[in-house]
Amino acid sequence: MAPPAQSHRSPSPSQPSGKGEVSDLKTQLRQLAGSRAPGTDDTKRELFKKVISYMTIGIDVSSVFSEMVMCSATSDIVLKKMCYLYVGNYAKHNPDLALLTINFLQRDCKDEDPMIRGLALRSLCSLGVANLVEYLVGPLGNGLKDGNSYVRMVAAVGVLKLYHLSASTCLDADFPPLLKQLMLKDKDAQVVANCLTSLQEIWSLEASTSEEAARERETLLSKPVVYYFLNRMKEFSEWAQCIVLELVSKYVPVDSEEIFDIMNLLEDRLHHANGAVVLATIKVFLHMTLSMTDVHQQVYERIKAPLLTLVSSGSPEQSYAVLSHLHLLVMRAPYIFSSDYKHFYCQYNEPFYVKKLKLDMLTAVANESNTYEIVTELCEYVANVDIPMARESIRAVGKIALQQYDVNAIVDRLLQFLEMEKEHVTAETLVLVKDLLRKYPQWSHDCIAVVGNISSKNVQEPKAKAALIWMLGEYAQDMQDSPYILEGLVENWDEENSAEVRLHLLTAVMKCFLRRAPETQKALGDALAAGVADFHQDVHDRALLYYRLLKYDVSVAERIVNPPKQAVSVFADTQSSEMKDRIFDEFNSLSVVYQKPSYMFTDKEHRGPFAFSEELGSLSIGTEPSDGAVAAQRVEANDKDLLLGTSEKEESHGYGNNGSAYNAPSYDASTTAGASQGHFDLVSIDQPSTLHPPSSFAIDDLLGLGMPAAPSSAPPALLLNAKATIDPNAFQQKWRQLPVSLSQETSIDPQGVAGMTNPQALPQHMQGHSINCIASGGQAPNFKFFFFAQKAEGSSAYLVECVINSSSCKVQLKIKTDDQATSQAFSELFQSALSKFGST
Amino acid sequence: MLQCIFLLSDSGEVLLEKQLTGHRVDRAICDWLWDQILTQGESLKLVPVIASPTHYLFQVVREGITFLACTQVEMPPLMAIEFLCRVADVLSNYLDGLNEDVIKDNFVIVYELLDEMIDNGFPLTTEPNILREMLAPPNIVSKVLSIVTGSTSNVSNTLPGATASCVPWRKTDLKHATNEVYVDLVEEMDATINRDGNLVKCEIYGEVQVNSNLSGLPDLTLSFANPSIFNDVSFHPCVRLRPWEANQILSFVPPDGQFTLMSYRVMKLKSTPIYSIDNIAVQFRLPPCVASSDLSSNYGAVNVLVDKTCSWTIGRMPKDKAPSMSGTLVLETGMERLHVFPTFQVGFRIMGVALSGLKIDKLDLKNPLSRPHKGFRALTRGGEFQVRS
Repeated sequence: MAPPAQSHRSPSPSQPSGKGEVSDLKTQLRQLAGSRAPGTDDTKRELFKKVISYMTIGIDVSSVFSEMVMCSATSDIVLKKMCYLYVGNYAKHNPDLALLTINFLQRDCKDEDPMIRGLALRSLCSLGVANLVEYLVGPLGNGLKDGNSYVRMVAAVGVLKLYHLSASTCLDADFPPLLKQLMLKDKDAQVVANCLTSLQEIWSLEASTSEEAARERETLLSKPVVYYFLNRMKEFSEWAQCIVLELVSKYVPVDSEEIFDIMNLLEDRLHHANGAVVLATIKVFLHMTLSMTDVHQQVYERIKAPLLTLVSSGSPEQSYAVLSHLHLLVMRAPYIFSSDYKHFYCQYNEPFYVKKLKLDMLTAVANESNTYEIVTELCEYVANVDIPMARESIRAVGKIALQQYDVNAIVDRLLQFLEMEKEHVTAETLVLVKDLLRKYPQWSHDCIAVVGNISSKNVQEPKAKAALIWMLGEYAQDMQDSPYILEGLVENWDEENSAEVRLHLLTAVMKCFLRRAPETQKALGDALAAGVADFHQDVHDRALLYYRLLKYDVSVAERIVNPPKQAVSVFADTQSSEMKDRIFDEFNSLSVVYQKPSYMFTDKEHRGPFAFSEELGSLSIGTEPSDGAVAAQRVEANDKDLLLGTSEKEESHGYGNNGSAYNAPSYDASTTAGASQGHFDLVSIDQPSTLHPPSSFAIDDLLGLGMPAAPSSAPPALLLNAKATIDPNAFQQKWRQLPVSLSQETSIDPQGVAGMTNPQALPQHMQGHSINCIASGGQAPNFKFFFFAQKAEGSSAYLVECVINSSSCKVQLKIKTDDQATSQAFSELFQSALSKFGST
Repeated sequence: MLQCIFLLSDSGEVLLEKQLTGHRVDRAICDWLWDQILTQGESLKLVPVIASPTHYLFQVVREGITFLACTQVEMPPLMAIEFLCRVADVLSNYLDGLNEDVIKDNFVIVYELLDEMIDNGFPLTTEPNILREMLAPPNIVSKVLSIVTGSTSNVSNTLPGATASCVPWRKTDLKHATNEVYVDLVEEMDATINRDGNLVKCEIYGEVQVNSNLSGLPDLTLSFANPSIFNDVSFHPCVRLRPWEANQILSFVPPDGQFTLMSYRVMKLKSTPIYSIDNIAVQFRLPPCVASSDLSSNYGAVNVLVDKTCSWTIGRMPKDKAPSMSGTLVLETGMERLHVFPTFQVGFRIMGVALSGLKIDKLDLKNPLSRPHKGFRALTRGGEFQVRS
């Protein structure tokens, strides 16, 4: 593959590099502008093509703007289209010149050819120049009433474009009611669908400020409207069907009869050739039956075949998206695909991302009846040419083994892998055998026999080497050569680059010594000496700890380093069920692909395209200078890069997770605690620093650093809506409008502050209390959050700005609400939720 | 809702950029993606849905062209991917194939197509028949025509009739001199066979492809002799689902021209007599530890590429001997035996037979203007047919 092209390739002779060519074009266009000679259009076409192709490869041709407009007087539709394209690209940044185009676009909006009317209207609405919105109103109004459905379809979307440019112009012109009329009456289904998308967006953005809009938004989900759409379902294009189905999935039917009616009506959608329609339908089915257990199970049965068809019939990209959803379903109901496991067998030339998901499916559907077949198939992949695939397959075998089915046969298979004498297979298998031994100590004899034959020289990968060393230490009494192998390893201490391996080596030698002292004494001495001299802090500390322990009392050392072990029953690398539930709510969304709920990856996006972060930053000092400049100043200074900083961290974290799907994000303190417990067993008493930083607070917790649990106050009477949502723009608008109703200072549990190393920890915690984070940012010691909550009954909302200083544990709260009477109650609730942060 | 679509060449060059909403997506996103591709290997290995620091990206790769879409809001991922796949299909159909040059030469028509396929980030129509009525493809015929008539416009002067007709995939006043309809059963056999000859997995994926050149508004019914063999089916929007559910009859008003009426999966195969298999080819990859190879066969041609892909083209099975390939493989120094075993991909074609055993019973036409000519064919190809060693 060729090296990266920064923006475009080095200019070839036919591509202009400088301004010469552009100014040539300018002159040529100018000459053509007034010409009516025959053949002019052909020449224009060639020139326009050149201009557009320059534009496409990234050369700035905005300087020919006025010439392009002058040449736009033509009846040639292709010329017109190229001109529209050009104008659309440059108008936004040349608002003055854009004015020149208004005239000809408006004229084209009255053309007798409906196609030209439509295209011109589309371009007019896409200019994106706020000063020119007044010129849009007339053509849009006409467009909505046009006799041709193509024009009406363009106009319906045009209204939304106008709304984004200038909401007030759009509302003043009374376009939304017009759209509503069209939506309920137009005979063209595409017009209806476009009206729906525009209205949905306009009304949800308006809903926070206008009660009428909020009502209208509700009406979209009312029975008559939803039924209207359902009845016209078959007229819609496949894409419009997706949008309508999304609407239907939000509709709450009154009784089960209604649910069955809707499902009967939609059932044939499951046979649609477009996968997006099928998934949208499945979402409706799953949602509607969530509370009806029996029917829900039947739905699983019903959707199975269409889903499997989607997996096997589409392109790899489609399979990927569908498999992500299957994986979610199978987590909820592992049995549904247990007899269809062969569908998840990997094809040799599928892309790795599909194979990886298929392996995940195979591990998820494995049960008593199919394990043997599945593992046999996985073993085929282990012998595969493709090394990453071989590794993943071994891991999959291991995961199945840890699920406790037919372990006997699997252990044999794993041990056979060790005899294959392939380095990557050996390495991967060693890690697994170690995990297996921790769960099934009864297999130690069989495993040790095989592991003992592996020469440590053939194992180079740190993880594998660490696993081997762990086994050498743990089973020192069963492995004849253990002390001598360890001794050899200690001799090569300086050549061992991985600190992880050196740490394991220290512990293993120590364990070995405690069981076979005479044989190990020399190795131990050497190891401790080398360890204390080690430049790596953790290795140094551990060596010192062992040394002092031994000096203090060998029996204490024994108790600490070699305590009686219990088999690990559950490994913590599976997602918590709460997470799965959340993702399930978001079926057919990006969350499914990322395997985490959207709040964990979208809140930056909620701030979205409109530079929310900066604005909020300036808000905090702009509108309320009275608010002691204490934190605000500092925070404001930080805000911008802070926001970026955290979000990038988030991203990279998320990205890393994409590959190995199960690195459970360290969010649920209880899970992480479980995870660390697992780690603990493995490395015995090691320091927390071998764990990833985000979970370190859980360790503190585990070790009981003596932090008193935060006093939990009795829950106040105010109830919040657990599903409250607000669009960041609406939030921003509201924040601007409302006065501060409460400004308070409070403090936060220092243990909670420890958890702030993970920027998502607090938002997640608060979400558990029905308080949603809209935006966040900060770097130690100052963090700033904007929260939103809504009363369970009624629509009154609470907006909170929360500035936390993590070194002083002080919190400054600013609460705004449109229901002043309950602001105190909300503040108490908020603080009580905050006080529990870190103590759970 | 998608915000922008980019088309990238196989060297990361932006071939085309189509902004879809007022919120402009900077091209820098393509550089970001390309960096990821370079650090993670080929674009084919990169997952189709990626979170970049600023946008969610959806990518579909076809013939070396990356179709990239960006958004910042939550949306059904499959919708974005399906749409990109359709864009790729439509372009390849319009331009008679996809490659960098073809896109550069025809970028105006690509822009025009995208304009009709998506507005403000919401897909509108991706139905090739309708698009063809709005924009004539730049094929040779129209090029010749344009030279003859002097008009170079590739725009149809009329709006698609379909928008006015009650059948959105067909315009009302179609007239064909030849009144004919062809139905093809095209099946692909996916199978995995273990080294001991056991069938691990076997499935048929089939499509009923129809080429309809019928005048007026024909109403067709197609029935199968053995519809019970289907494990799952999916249909073109023109198929009425009630008759299918009631009697397993396909009743539909066809779009004009070539389209896929139905696709299906069949998992249980009946033994079907096979008379002739041709286009047989075997492909496999030599393990990386093979330093050099010298392979030859007693029938057909053997070809080993630089990337160690070996292909053996057999064609039709000879009557007098069993084709075999033999030769020597030299392992890299230090290797004593071959640790990995290649998987053989087998390609073949069986004319006249649908291996699933599916049989068309009859095709009826309601309200025909004249008696049409009806034609039926069947074909089975090797899909993912692999033999392990």
